[in-house]
Amino acid sequence: MNVQIRRLGIALLVLFGLLFAQLNNLQLRQAGHLSNDPRNTRAIVVDFSRERGRILAADGTVLADSVPTDDTLKRQRRYPEGPLYSPVLGFFSFNFGSDGVERQFSPELAGRKVTINSLDDLLSATPRTNDVTLTIQPAVQKAAADALGNRRGAVVAVDPRSGALLAMVSFPTFDPNPLAGHDLKAVQKAWNAYQADPAKPMLPRAYRERYSPGSTFKLVTASAAIGSRPDLVAKSYPQLKALNLKGTSRDLSNFGGETCGGTLPDLLRISCNTGFGQLGIDLGGPALRDEALSFGWNERPPLDLPAPAASSFPDLAGLRTEPQLATSAIGQLDVSATPLQMALVSCAVANGGTIMEPHVLSRVTDVQGQVVRTAQPRAWKQPMTAQDAASLKDLMVGVVQRGTATRAAVPGVQVAAKTGTAQTTGNNAHAWLTAFAPADAPRVAVSVIVESQPGVSEATGGTIAAPVAQAVLKAALAQPPTPG
Amino acid sequence: MAPSPARFPVRERGGPVTAAVEAPRRRRTELGLVLLVGLLTVGALTLASLGKVGQPPAGLLGLAGVMVVLLLAAHLAVRKLAPAADPVILPVALLLNGLGYTMITRLNSNLAALQATWTAVGVAAFVGTLLVVRRARDLERYRYTFLAVGLILLLLPLLPGLGRNINGARIWIRLGPIGFQPAELAKIVLAIFFASYLVERRELLADRIRVGPLRLPRPRLRILLPLLAAWGVSIVVMVAERDLGSSLLFFGLFIGLLWLATGQAAYLLGGGVLFALASVGAYKAFNHVQTRVETWLDPWSTAQGKGYQIVQSMFAFGSGGVTGTGLALGSPQRIPAAATDFIFAAIGEELGLLGTTAVLIAFVLLIGSGLRIALRTEHPFEKLLAAGLTLVLGLQAFIIIGGITRVVPLTGITLPFVSYGGSSLVANFILIALLLRISDQHSQASPDRSR
Repeated sequence: MNVQIRRLGIALLVLFGLLFAQLNNLQLRQAGHLSNDPRNTRAIVVDFSRERGRILAADGTVLADSVPTDDTLKRQRRYPEGPLYSPVLGFFSFNFGSDGVERQFSPELAGRKVTINSLDDLLSATPRTNDVTLTIQPAVQKAAADALGNRRGAVVAVDPRSGALLAMVSFPTFDPNPLAGHDLKAVQKAWNAYQADPAKPMLPRAYRERYSPGSTFKLVTASAAIGSRPDLVAKSYPQLKALNLKGTSRDLSNFGGETCGGTLPDLLRISCNTGFGQLGIDLGGPALRDEALSFGWNERPPLDLPAPAASSFPDLAGLRTEPQLATSAIGQLDVSATPLQMALVSCAVANGGTIMEPHVLSRVTDVQGQVVRTAQPRAWKQPMTAQDAASLKDLMVGVVQRGTATRAAVPGVQVAAKTGTAQTTGNNAHAWLTAFAPADAPRVAVSVIVESQPGVSEATGGTIAAPVAQAVLKAALAQPPTPG
Repeated sequence: MAPSPARFPVRERGGPVTAAVEAPRRRRTELGLVLLVGLLTVGALTLASLGKVGQPPAGLLGLAGVMVVLLLAAHLAVRKLAPAADPVILPVALLLNGLGYTMITRLNSNLAALQATWTAVGVAAFVGTLLVVRRARDLERYRYTFLAVGLILLLLPLLPGLGRNINGARIWIRLGPIGFQPAELAKIVLAIFFASYLVERRELLADRIRVGPLRLPRPRLRILLPLLAAWGVSIVVMVAERDLGSSLLFFGLFIGLLWLATGQAAYLLGGGVLFALASVGAYKAFNHVQTRVETWLDPWSTAQGKGYQIVQSMFAFGSGGVTGTGLALGSPQRIPAAATDFIFAAIGEELGLLGTTAVLIAFVLLIGSGLRIALRTEHPFEKLLAAGLTLVLGLQAFIIIGGITRVVPLTGITLPFVSYGGSSLVANFILIALLLRISDQHSQASPDRSR
């Protein structure tokens, strides 16, 4: 029997060896991965009980801070501005983790990411929380929120020279204060109410929701023609009510049964569907797709917020037939874009053909006010040459002066813009506008979407979205010029 | 202290050491270790209280006093009743008990008060076992009584009016205010029966025939019947009580003992085949088995649903890292059943890899000591019983630790000495009392060969 007993000992030892190996796997190899998993809210407990840095707007307005409390969690996170900044800030909740800036810059805010400059830094036990200053301008943010009002949609304003976001609004939105509470049942209730709301108030539409971009996408189609097909830029497209497409009985018609045609400037100015449909067919699938990808489609933008959505453009298999090409060229069918992406299209035109990395972080400062880190502007994409960008800019100026976007005009400033109307269900459409100003020395690019507006006509984007964009441009241009 | 009845020539290194000299030394070792356990437990409780409320536990002295009384009671019982027994088993078991009690205090103070009471009952059962069982081989005589008691205990929860469904498993009985999991006791009672039954028949069971190039156990009905009966009982436990862990434990124990007794690998093979058949059948027939397998293979896709518990356990281990968060500074209360089946994950979070490794080492020490006792014992029944009890203890620890670390599918069962649970504590204290009884006998019978 002794032989078996020894073997049993070896067998049990092997089993416990397996357990030991797995424990090393979980607690050593995968420890970082597991403790940082967004579903693991344990780090939050630690963060909740300690000091946490402030989040500030570009002008120093306090957007989030923490005050001492008497209960066991020791500190209460507050958002003095309520729901206004929540599409950027996200939330910081004991029960439900965090999102937005609160999530992205949690290591800095909580002082978990410490740059060691001296021996003293290593030895001192005081928590070193950092303040995070954003590029968001309160005046622009307020103007955008007021102009959008109680309509579902989103507004993004960017400085095209640096990629710094000046405003980011999404409606409906939520108040992060109740989610930061210490009464966990009340927090649960607030959370449940937001989650149950079919309007999805906790979705930051500006960078995480994709919409059909409609006619704003014609900027990309136009850019493809300007960049590589001078013959098509010069081509005069026939005056048509509807474009007859091979392989389908459904023709591509203009909104409201209008007749339009002509050369590229006219097509863009009045947003001619039949003309752009034919232009898409003339360009062909590969050229159209390459252009969209060069603007950042099918790629997550390098935004410094959690999980930005990638805009999407169909692959070549979805661009074979005339109906597919024509409808994709006018931003319908399987083309989708985030409001951020459409702002970046304007950025490209405004910034000499280069899209800068979009970002909300301006700088991180320590408790003494010393700058720990500053966001550096970096180029992301270059879809156009400076010369082609200038050509397209002239066309966009025409859209504001004599086209569909006259209501985006700001007195005394030359504005460049493009409207869009993306039909959704039945007789509703998303109203779009993307613009920048001043045209000769751009300081702000903006995109606006107002969801599901009644009436489908090319004018929808111009009447609904353009005034919102105008208000945002005005507010941004009134700001003292700031670098970065 | 009874003088050793017989003196055999000393055959081993270390000079002529007799039980009479060795026994006091062993007890001194045990006393030192037991006091160390008391110190560690009081220290851990103080740390946990500091972590939780920022001050030492209320009534620390009283608590320490009660604990010392309990520890010394167990130690003195061994000193009086089994003076030559192994000196490591009791302290290691008490250490695991103290660590578990600390975690339970930190998780749920109501459960902690109950666990303290059950620990006292467990120590009483330990002393009682040493008192009643003066020679382990005497147990052999009552084997069929043990069989009957074992089966009754196992099937008791199925009785209407007595059994209780808790968390989907029908493994509880309730008598007045006291709830009990009879399966915990059944494992010991059945280990005694299996050991005596198999020892008597091992010649018969080892009888082999030649089948081509293979030598296989002679297929006799008398051999196959108990094998199939054990299998059948395991299946009943699994199906009717939905207790996968106990089912696996019983079957593993029976097959293990069969192999230990006969040395025939064919029994392991046959047991493996039967186990595989039952597993596949159970997987096909029962949703809860499928759930267990699915959440074992991939808990992440249902992290908010079926996989929640195991995912929380993974997070606990990961967040603990190497050194842990410190006692009462983590959030193991998020893991459902943190004080019972998942207590090892709570240890992993707050004491880290260092703490979980210490627990593993503690179990390896228990297993090592148990098997050493089995090796040293000359009497076949006691040999097999010691090995069987050790196997139960080791297998149970492996099944639950493996389950919550995703080495094997999760089958709910307690971690011996550590988990909250009266039945489990009492049963495991009886288990080590039996091991110590066997150890004491062989050390007294022959000069100790270990140091």
